[in-house]
Amino acid sequence: MTKRTQITPTDRASLAFYLLIAVTAAITVGAVHFIAFRAPTEATMGIVQKVFYFHVPSAYAMYLGATACFVGSAGYLAKGTRGWDALAKAGAETAVTMGLMVLISGPLWAAKAWGVYWTWDPRLTTSMLSVLIYVAYVVLRAFSGGGEAERKFAAALGVLGAANLPIIHFSVQKWGGNHPKVITKGGGGLQHPDMKTALMLGFLSFTLIAIVVLWQRARLELAASRLADAEQEAVELGLVEEGNP
Amino acid sequence: MTPLFALQAQTSAPAGKPTGTTEERGEVFKPVDGGNTMQSGEALLVEAYAAFWLVLFALIALGWRRQRQLDQRVGDLETAIDRARAAQESAEKKSA
Repeated sequence: MTKRTQITPTDRASLAFYLLIAVTAAITVGAVHFIAFRAPTEATMGIVQKVFYFHVPSAYAMYLGATACFVGSAGYLAKGTRGWDALAKAGAETAVTMGLMVLISGPLWAAKAWGVYWTWDPRLTTSMLSVLIYVAYVVLRAFSGGGEAERKFAAALGVLGAANLPIIHFSVQKWGGNHPKVITKGGGGLQHPDMKTALMLGFLSFTLIAIVVLWQRARLELAASRLADAEQEAVELGLVEEGNP
Repeated sequence: MTPLFALQAQTSAPAGKPTGTTEERGEVFKPVDGGNTMQSGEALLVEAYAAFWLVLFALIALGWRRQRQLDQRVGDLETAIDRARAAQESAEKKSA
């Protein structure tokens, strides 16, 4: 007689997570292939322009992470539950990861297009400021302990840190600067259909990557919370010594 | 057969004849006009894509490892807690 195993909601969530990773990997490989072999080389900048198809989507994914951090932080301040806090922390970590990608890929493109890696252009400066805000959030959470006061302080930072996001978006229109306006100027800057398809594939793959990273980091945070609860219970039962689990 | 470095010099030297005397070239290094614009677009593109995947895979791999460690620790603790509770209950029943 065979033993029937019961599938729990946790198993279902894990299965969905691994499925999402597989779909994300397949679409990302497809996007890289399309960008490398189908999207045409740009006339004035040459092949380095292809950085654009991942640079812009990673900036958009940074916005997604920052928005998740804002929503999670606001939710934690309103409800005070671990789920909202996990979403906020995962959002900040996603924003830092994607922000680093933006800040690495942009200067590599600029080295060829502008002749310098960095210039204090409004969009570059506000983007770096935003990444630094989320780095501050992550560092605060990593080193300040897991108390409620620290979580509330970090949540306030997560809410206020989102104020810079619209400034990044409109900086290039309001203050000028060197940064290209290919997307923000009505989306008409890409003059070949394959260029548009490549960008759309970039957006799709980075949306999925951002969801994978968000999900993974939130799972991690919830597992850390479960561990803290289990350690507390173990201390109460005398299984482990306090402060030395 | 052309030596390796001689071949490299032939392919990477700027077009045209070198300027100045042999002595001057031995004492002064002059940069080409344009500086960073001379960088290879192909190399910059590869560096950018390598950075993307390095950052992403490092994050996912480290997160995966940490998740496994946490799940292992939570599982061990929950088993120990269940055993301790069962022992506590049986001790209470015996004493009653």
